[in-house]
Amino acid sequence: MMGMAEYVIETENLVKVYRDRSGEVRALDGVTVRVPKGVLFGLFGPNGSGKTSLISILVGLQLPTSGSARVLGYDCVRESIEIRRRVGLLPENYGFYEYMTARENLEYLGKLDGLPAQELKRRIPEVLELVGLREWADAKVKGFSRGMTQRLALAQALLKDPELLILDEPTLGLDPQGTAMFKKLVEQFVKLGKTVLISTHLLHEIGHVCTHAALLRKGKVIAQGSLEELAKAYREAKGYSYELAVAGGAEELLRELKGVNGVTYVGLENDLIKVRAGRDIGGELAELAAKYRIRSLVPLAPSWDELYQFYQGGGWE
Amino acid sequence: MGVMEKALIVARKEIAENLKSIRYWAIIGLFVLLYIASTYAIGFAVRGFRGLAIGGRARTVLQLSNQVVNALTYIAPLLGIALGFGAIAAEREKGTIRLVLARPIYRDDLINGKLIAAVALIVLAIALSTALAVPLAVAMQNVNVTSEDFTRLALLVLPATLLALAFYALSLFASVYAGRSSHALVVSLVLWIFFTFILPIIAAFIAFQILGPPPAIPFNATRPFGQGLPRQLQEYFTRYNQVVSSIQLVSPTARFSSLASALFALRPQSDVYEELATALARRWIDVAVLATYIAVFLIASYIVFLRRQETR
Repeated sequence: MMGMAEYVIETENLVKVYRDRSGEVRALDGVTVRVPKGVLFGLFGPNGSGKTSLISILVGLQLPTSGSARVLGYDCVRESIEIRRRVGLLPENYGFYEYMTARENLEYLGKLDGLPAQELKRRIPEVLELVGLREWADAKVKGFSRGMTQRLALAQALLKDPELLILDEPTLGLDPQGTAMFKKLVEQFVKLGKTVLISTHLLHEIGHVCTHAALLRKGKVIAQGSLEELAKAYREAKGYSYELAVAGGAEELLRELKGVNGVTYVGLENDLIKVRAGRDIGGELAELAAKYRIRSLVPLAPSWDELYQFYQGGGWE
Repeated sequence: MGVMEKALIVARKEIAENLKSIRYWAIIGLFVLLYIASTYAIGFAVRGFRGLAIGGRARTVLQLSNQVVNALTYIAPLLGIALGFGAIAAEREKGTIRLVLARPIYRDDLINGKLIAAVALIVLAIALSTALAVPLAVAMQNVNVTSEDFTRLALLVLPATLLALAFYALSLFASVYAGRSSHALVVSLVLWIFFTFILPIIAAFIAFQILGPPPAIPFNATRPFGQGLPRQLQEYFTRYNQVVSSIQLVSPTARFSSLASALFALRPQSDVYEELATALARRWIDVAVLATYIAVFLIASYIVFLRRQETR
């Protein structure tokens, strides 16, 4: 059912308006997003930017006010059950049956996923192992910490071995160890050719694992694409940054670097030379690297945080 | 996967959850206690009737059945409410609904599963508590009970299930509609209080306003007890009962009482039960009203739940 373009998620001018007695809120205001297959895609924006509304529409928990959305080639309104057969979701606000054990919760949810008993028997220990909860399999969820519950939530999303994993604020409540486990897991998942959509406002925690992103603000997409695509405009406006690793005796190199046309800053810190330039000087640096036997030359990409601030012209708000 | 497979998965989980819950067993315990307490209360009356040598064995059983019906009038709705008020609202509060609805499950499967579980749990609770309490009550009062009496008492499970399901449907609708389970519980309890305690008072008040006070009858100390009331007083109470019954036609608890009492109807001037089919055929309206409550509020629950968007 995948389209020719191989986008796992495609939305077109999606609008979501919530109405209540106090008026109406436009949570999504003409959102058009394309998520390519096999990437780690970030949905970045502050609280209230429309991330959770978008995800809820994608899996059929909510209906759009207007516009269209397709996931894995299926229409989000008419074929949402087909989407839910193939998508693993970790929602932002969720809960487990607390009087039931981790295993019993997964058994129940796995049965609702349509997994046969034999497969569940094999799969449950696997996913619990993946998230580091194997020894807690038969403990009641009531006694779980926030971090353990978040791990279990990730386990339930992985249970059906989905084609697409949608994670809404996945690192909320995780300790640094849990966050590291989580990053490793999603990267492994993508290596299998699958797609992960991560929605977060904690760019510094999880954003850097994403290779592509859509930046949301007040229900609108302010930019989207791969890190390289989005960094291009940033670099053109803010300049290019590079890092050269040297092995001592770099005075001559430093002098040469300062003389390169367009270079605005050169600094040496612990055998690392940082260079900033108003234009792309990658070619010149490669020539110098060969001449001075530089250990490595890395063009620095801006962080997602920097990109977000650049595209929206300020901080989160 | 079969059509109802997902609903059955939900039902099995719901049944297991309730069988492990204190709330469910507390209601069954309350039921048994209420039976026993009622039996104690009627003990004097039963002995009194025996002493006066009026009525027969069946009349003694009638006293017992009245207490059972009374107990069911209070407890069966509470059982329905206990199972219904949190059915959807509590899942929303706990956030489990987002994990469940993120699965390939139709929303009506979720309600179907909860309904199947509710029917099973209601039948089990009523049957179990009746099976525990009635023999106990019979033994305590030393009543001579025939197999026909036991059959009639056992058949009470059916109208009691209808009553419990009517209140289950009401509170399920409240649960689907309300944002919080506490709101659903309050609405359900208010309806229960209204139908059980307030509507009978309103009905009596209206009947009194329409008919005025009963006619004054001179006291006749020579008329033996139970020999019947004067004709004009009988007419007054017949009309009074008609007005009260008309007003209480919409009350599920009143309809249950009427239907349940029909199970123990005796043939005129006899100690023998009326044919079940004959007795129940006269009370089809009670079945219809209870069935209407169940159908209307279940359909309303489906419609609201299918349209409702889970925004939290």
